Order: sequence, then structure tokens, then C-alpha cells
Amino acid sequence: MADISEQRSVRLSDRQKDIIQKFAALGSLFVLVAVFSVTSSAFFTVNNGMTIALQVTSIALLGIGATCVIITGGIDLSVGSVLALSGVVAALAVRDWGIPVPFAMLIGILTGSLCGWINGLLVTKMKLPPFIATLGMMLIARGVALQITGARAVSGLGESFGVLGNGSLFRVVTIGDDGFPNVSFPGIPYPVILMVVIAIAVSLMLNRSVLGRHIYAVGSNSDAARLSGVNVSRVVSFTYVLSGTLAGLTGCVLMSRLVTAQPNEGVMYELDAIASAVIGGTSLIGGVGTISGTAIGAFVIGILRNGLNMNGVSAFTQQIIIGLVILGTVWIDQLRNRR
Amino acid sequence: MQNSADIRDAHVASADRRALLRLDGITKEFPGVMALSDVHFDLFAGEVHAVCGENGAGKSTLMKIISGVYQPTAGSIVYKGQESRFASPLESEAAGIAIIHQELNLVPHLSVAENIYLAREPRRGFLIDRKKLRADAKRCLDRLGIDIDPDTHVRNLSVAQSQMVEIAKALSLDAEVLIMDEPTSSLTEQETKLLFQVIRDLKASGVGIVYISHRLDEMEEIVDRVTVLRDGRYIATDNLRDTTVNDVVAKMVGRSLEEKFPERISKPSDDIVFSAAGLTRQGVFSDVSFSLRRGEILGFSGLMGAGRTEVARAIFGADPLDTGTITMHGETLTISSPRDAIAAGIAYLSEDRKAQGLAIKMPVDANVTLANMDEVSNTFGLIDFAKHNKVANDYVELLDIRTPSIKQPVRLLSGGNQQKIIIGKWLFRKPKVMFFDEPTRGIDVGAKFAIYKIMDELAAEGIGVVLISSELPEILGMTDRVAVFHGGRITGVLETRNTDQEEIMRYASGYGPKAH
Repeated sequence: MADISEQRSVRLSDRQKDIIQKFAALGSLFVLVAVFSVTSSAFFTVNNGMTIALQVTSIALLGIGATCVIITGGIDLSVGSVLALSGVVAALAVRDWGIPVPFAMLIGILTGSLCGWINGLLVTKMKLPPFIATLGMMLIARGVALQITGARAVSGLGESFGVLGNGSLFRVVTIGDDGFPNVSFPGIPYPVILMVVIAIAVSLMLNRSVLGRHIYAVGSNSDAARLSGVNVSRVVSFTYVLSGTLAGLTGCVLMSRLVTAQPNEGVMYELDAIASAVIGGTSLIGGVGTISGTAIGAFVIGILRNGLNMNGVSAFTQQIIIGLVILGTVWIDQLRNRR
Repeated sequence: MQNSADIRDAHVASADRRALLRLDGITKEFPGVMALSDVHFDLFAGEVHAVCGENGAGKSTLMKIISGVYQPTAGSIVYKGQESRFASPLESEAAGIAIIHQELNLVPHLSVAENIYLAREPRRGFLIDRKKLRADAKRCLDRLGIDIDPDTHVRNLSVAQSQMVEIAKALSLDAEVLIMDEPTSSLTEQETKLLFQVIRDLKASGVGIVYISHRLDEMEEIVDRVTVLRDGRYIATDNLRDTTVNDVVAKMVGRSLEEKFPERISKPSDDIVFSAAGLTRQGVFSDVSFSLRRGEILGFSGLMGAGRTEVARAIFGADPLDTGTITMHGETLTISSPRDAIAAGIAYLSEDRKAQGLAIKMPVDANVTLANMDEVSNTFGLIDFAKHNKVANDYVELLDIRTPSIKQPVRLLSGGNQQKIIIGKWLFRKPKVMFFDEPTRGIDVGAKFAIYKIMDELAAEGIGVVLISSELPEILGMTDRVAVFHGGRITGVLETRNTDQEEIMRYASGYGPKAH
């Protein structure tokens, strides 16, 4: 009897550890919100909420792709460059070829998909380590973006190019007594809607589809997956294509917000994406990770930046703090997995 | 256990001479598994003490306790007259206990000398004293009478030479206790002779050697005493000159074959379910042909590296096949990947459960359904969870898998239950032919019996069953015929009921049939 009760207590503490980890990130998110609400009166407002959500979209979209890649045991360092390339391709398509904005953006997104597809080929067919394959793509995509634009920003894109990044749904504007427009609700920015829809879709894909199950299986043990009949190459390639596509979409959104395409946009964004996945509990060894975790991770980074800005903390100090947060959360993860 | 008092008496008597190492009442419990219970072991300076037992008897757990990898749940370890607990292999090594693992632990890209003194390089200031390193290594190797240039890179050495380097390394640590885990498993006869000479020299210089081996035939040459473990329990310690190998085997098995294996219900018929002809993979196996009859269990026997697993993997599409035809129910199959093989109705239970069989971080249900997701999903590729969970629950029940729930990660289950999960995965595929590669390795006796029963039931249902096993009792107890491999070829296909261990071993060593 003694043995049994002892075993049960061990299992319980295992489960407790699990719960602690799951809520550690979410808990720290609440703590952050609470602290910043106290220190800055402008923080906890609808307007700032939407600002944060908008700022978080790029990290979150890239993070969603990164999560899928990392679950298979890979890594994608190219997304920052790929988003720049996709954005300038879309912009050039509008300015130089006169293609309507929606189609131009589609071309931009497909450019991202193409980069991801090449990454997938390099990893699965040429058997390059993902780190090296995507490092190469990172340099190439950035180089091409700079080359085709002559390293200059592409502007003069017209108002319609800015709709995706700046438009919003349910914006409520009333004309006040003084005749000036009065924004009573800023609306939900299109990028935020995109982010939510994509997060839900990818989350469903991971949890409820055969493809998602195969993604986890490949990351957990690719040999066992292959010997169980999983098409490992196709599954791995898919995650890189997804990551590239989302990078392409992020590129279009970012360039649209500025109504200017910058070939230098998105430098180091890949690291934010990886950090958001890791803070959310994705294991770099593969096999473990969730979209909800990554979303939390993205918001932790976004809220930290926003809140620290509002409190007048310098950009340098912000980096130090975010670095510490990454180390802390991953350390908690290690504690949990230590047996 | 009515004779346990006698055993302890014998133990006390032998303790008149002071033992170099002495373990008493060692118990080790893992979640859900009792790996060792109340085990005794002692070792004198200058003796070779063999530890024997079947797979899963607890030999390696015991060694890991001696070397500090595991901490015993209960029991005492007395080393050189002092109660000791080694918290890590580093501590035991510092105290003079060295272990030479089955998988060698050398760094291939460093030289022999660098490997011997790894992390203890002689220095001159900040730099490594290369001259001294080389000279010291040379002295170590000379002491063993082996002729290896200390500057050679380890990757250029044969397995036997690497093993010698490991021994040299252990000696350079002034090891007083040397644990050798299956040292001869990959050596040629010539190399084995050399190893035994080295062991005799070590003995003469007062080193105590713990020797673990499945090759009982070799033991008589060098072993002084033998301790038998069975199912994690201590059975006996004997002087080898007072006993016989047969006696040791009887103690290892501990029960007659009838009790270990289920009564076969399947009966071989005449129609051929599956056949392979002229299978060849350059440098691995050549011209392998066999056929499998309905209701039959066919054994693949042979020594390590004889090509049994390699043939099965090639048939399954896991490794490429150069030439040969594979036929199932009269139809010739083209297989270039495991996907093709699975689609054709072939299942392969791999020999390495953790590395090739399980998605170890995933739960029971995901592992059971992994090879047949199409069955539990709709046309859009979305999982039908009602069906999915029912399948998982059904197989958990059918195979008596002991798990708190189907959502339990499989890494938390015992070896036997993990193996049953993989079997469940393949049963859900409804295979026509199934290869079981070392299905009972490292799992407890109860689960073994259950797995034998499953194999028999599958054969009775008309599924072709191939059992690949290194354990001859298993081959003799479960199969109808046995194909014996040697050097990548089938040297003989024997009717199981008309053969014995001796004959199989003769074919496995390439000697062929007995001269009449």
C-alpha cells in the first residue's frame, strides 16, 4: 500500500509541474498587464490594446510558422528576410507592373511560399541541417530584396496598398457637436483578424488533423514515423512552406502598414518568432509545442515592449529584459522536463 | 525462496576472504517495474566473476548501480571495506571502478592517446604535453601487449582494437574493478583469444573483473565464479569448476520451456502466404530466399550482424534492396519505402523500440493509430476523435496494456506495455505478414508470455508471422521452422521440432549440418 500511495504522490507532483508550466507563461502575461496598468494610465485602454494586438501580429504570424517547423525538430532562420523579399515583390508588382493590389499581394505571399518550399527541399532532399539551409535562405532572400530594389524603399504605391495594414473592422466614428470626427471605437485592425483566424486554423490543423498528428510524430521520432508509413519528407516540407507563406503574408501586412516597401524590413524578426514559440513551451528538440503557447509568447514579448516603452525604458534595457524573460521561461521548461 | 537462507550462508562463508566489492540486498524499483530485488554480489581481487541471466534479468541494472548510474532503492554497497554510494559514474571511476560498455564510448575523431587520457591530459602550463601523452599511452598499450600506434585515430580502428583502447583507458585510471559488458559480442575468434589473454594478465595483476556475457560457451575458459540472476532476483553464486554450463542455463531459465511459452493453437498449412527469392543487398546480405506458410511462425536465427534484421528491414522498405523478388499471395510486390510495404500489408516491429518504434513523447492513443490515420479520419484529413479514441481503448483492452489512460505519454510506461502499444499499432493495420524483431527484448516475463500468445493467435488467423530472435529458447519454443543466418546468407532452414540449440548454433557459426 505504501508503494502505491507514494507512486500517486509522484504522479500528482508531475501533473502539478505540468500545470505550473502551462500557466507560467499565461500567469506572467497577467502580471505584466497588471504591473503596466498601474505604472502607466494609458496602458490599459482599448486603444492601446489594439495597438499592442497590431504590433504583435507580425511576431505571432511568424511564430505560428516557427512553431510548426520547430515541432518537427527543425528551425527557420529565413523568415525575417523572406518577409522583406515578399513585401518588395508585392510592391514592385503594383508599381512597376501595374498589377492590382490584391493580386500583387498574392504574388508576394507566394514568393514567401516559394522560399519555404526551397527550404523544405534543402532540408529533406539535400539533407542539409535546417539551421544551415535556412541561414543560406536568410542571406539569399535579403540579398535579392536589396538587389531588385537597388536597396531603396519602394514608395508611391497608392492608398489601396495601405488597406490591409491600416484598415479595421467595426470602427465606430461619430461626428461630435464641434463638427470633428470622434472615434468611439478604433475597430479591430485587419491584421489582428488575420492573426486570430490563422492562429485558430493552424491550431486546428495541429490538434485535429492527420497532418498535424504527423507533424508531432515526425518531431517526436522521425524514424518511428517513417517506419509507421508517415511521409516524413512531405510533412517536413509542408512546415517550411507554411512558415514561408506566413512570412510572405507578414511582409505584405508590414509593408502595407507603412504604404512603403522596405528591403531592410524584418531584420532579426526570425529571432522574435523563435523566442515567442520557445516562451510558449515549444521544445527546440521537437515533438512538443502549441499555437496557444506561441500566441501567449508573442503577447509577452509585445506587451513587454509596449509597456516598457510607455514607462520610458530605453530600447537597450528592453532587450536586456526580454533576454532575461526568454532565459527564465526556458529554464522553467527545463525544470519541468528534468526527471 | 526456501533456500535463501542457504544462499546467504554460502555468501557469508565466501566473505572470509575480504571482498573487493560486496553488494547486499540490492533492490531497485522503477515506476511500475521491480528491476532488482534483494540481489547479492561480491567480487574478489584477481578473479573473473560472471553475471548471467536472460534479457531483462537485471544484469545491466546491477552494473549501473555498481557504477553509480542508478542509486539503489535499498541495499548496501561495500567497496574496499567501506560502505559506499556512488552518485555518478564519475565518482565510481575516481574510486577505481571502470566499465566497458557494449557500445564503446570513444571519440572517433581523436587519437588513441587522446582518448585514453581524455579530460586528464598531461599538461605543461596551458598546453597539452604531447610527448608525455604519447609516451604514457604507449606504456598503457604495451602493458596490455597490444600493438596499436597511439597516434592512430580511433575511427580507423577495428571494434576489437577499440575495445583494447577502452581497456587501456580503464587501466590508466588504475581501475581495480573492471566491468565488461558483452565484450566478445562483436569480436572474431582470434580477437576473442587476444582479449582473454589480456583478461588473464589483468587477473594476475589483481584486478577484479565483472564479466557479463550471453556466450556461455566461452565462460569456461576464463571465469572463476558465476552469479545467476532471473527476473531481477538473485538465484545463486557458484564456482564454475563445481558446476556446468547446463546447470547455469537451467538456473537462468528457471522453468521448463512449456511454462514459458503458450500451447500453440496455430497449425501450418501448405499454402504459401509470403515468399522472398534471391534478396541481395550489396555487402549486407546476399541471395536470401525463404517462404512463409499460412498459420506458420517462421524463426530467423543467427548471431548479431548475420543479416536477420537487415533482411527484414529491406523487405519492409526501410533500407534499399539491390535485387530479389518479394511475393505475397502470389502477387509480386514492388517496395521502395515503408509506406509501400505497409500499404501491401507488411508490418515490421523493429528491434529498437525507443529509437524506431515509438513516438516517445506522444500519448498511447496517438501511437496506436499512427500507422493507420486514414481509418480514423474523414476525407478532409480531420481526425474523427470518437472513432480514434475507441480504437485506442479497444487495443488497450485487447492487448491488456497497463496504462492510467489512453492520454498517458508512452515514455512513462514499462517496456512490455510499450511493446504492446507498437503491436497494437500494427494490428490496427490488419497486416497480412508481420515481422517481430526481438519482440521480447528487455521486457518482463508476464509480458513476454502475452506477446507469444499474440503471435500464435495472429498465425492462427492466417497472418504470416516471422520471429527474429537472438534467444534460442524463444526460437525453439515458438516457431515451426527456423531459417538460420550466417554472414548475410541463410545457411539452413530447419524444422524446429527436429532440431536443437546445438544444431542451430552450428548453422549460425557457418559450420553447416552435422556429419553423419
